Amino acid sequence: MSNKTELVKGEKSLPERSRDIPSLAPLVDIYENDDEILLHADMPGVDKKDITVNIDNGKLSLCGVRKIEAAGAVQWEEFGNIEYRRTFSVPQTIDVDKINAELKDGVLRLHLVKSEAAKPKQIEIKAA
Amino acid sequence: MWTKWSDIDRMFNAMDLLQNRMNRLFPDYGGFRGFPAAWDAFQTGPSTNLYDAGDHLEMKVELPCITKDDLNIKVQGNYLEISGSRRSDAPKGYSAHRVERGTASFSRSFTLPSEVDTDKVDAKLANGLLTLTLPKSEAAKPKQIPIN
Repeated sequence: MSNKTELVKGEKSLPERSRDIPSLAPLVDIYENDDEILLHADMPGVDKKDITVNIDNGKLSLCGVRKIEAAGAVQWEEFGNIEYRRTFSVPQTIDVDKINAELKDGVLRLHLVKSEAAKPKQIEIKAA
Repeated sequence: MWTKWSDIDRMFNAMDLLQNRMNRLFPDYGGFRGFPAAWDAFQTGPSTNLYDAGDHLEMKVELPCITKDDLNIKVQGNYLEISGSRRSDAPKGYSAHRVERGTASFSRSFTLPSEVDTDKVDAKLANGLLTLTLPKSEAAKPKQIPIN
């Protein structure tokens, strides 16, 4: 019988955090054309001010917190407060300054514009 | 001492195993889903919450990427039906790398715990979350009984 597995698995190095809301990865669609990469993420019920989009060192991370405010006794509850969190790797060819994001109907739409150097170019053939 | 520890450990392992199996059998039972359910043919409809605030009922429905034109709400007595369709918002001229957000039409009906005053029902759609305020009909409202 092995006694190697610990009864309580804990990261001693991390300060203890109290997390009372569950975390969930939002569903996303990713599209691309010659100019940009488009990312659509479903985040129903998340307010604009509760969304953070960070891009750092080739990592794009989305975070959105949903707080459900309702009065009265719960009859049934199929969804609740949640933290949407997902991280993507983005290519270095994205122009970080030109990224823009919009939130409509509970969908976060991110436009990741490619830098000029990364766009495909048509080479014209000159007649000699 | 050590044998006892490993016994506890083994017991927890067995419990985890059982829980995983149960979760696989009944993915929609017991609290929230670990991963958002894909909008596919197998899903019966959007997730809802219902609250009873005494003189009215409040329902919240998760409806991302749905505009008010795509949505139909019907109320009759204590019957409520929410139906609609989720259209694709795929842009033209783009190639898709990943499509997790499906498109589907859905319909979900409920028997509310009390009769509803259908003329005063209010529906609000904001940030992909539908909030329905359903005032109870006079007969269904709670009444204070004075003691003689």
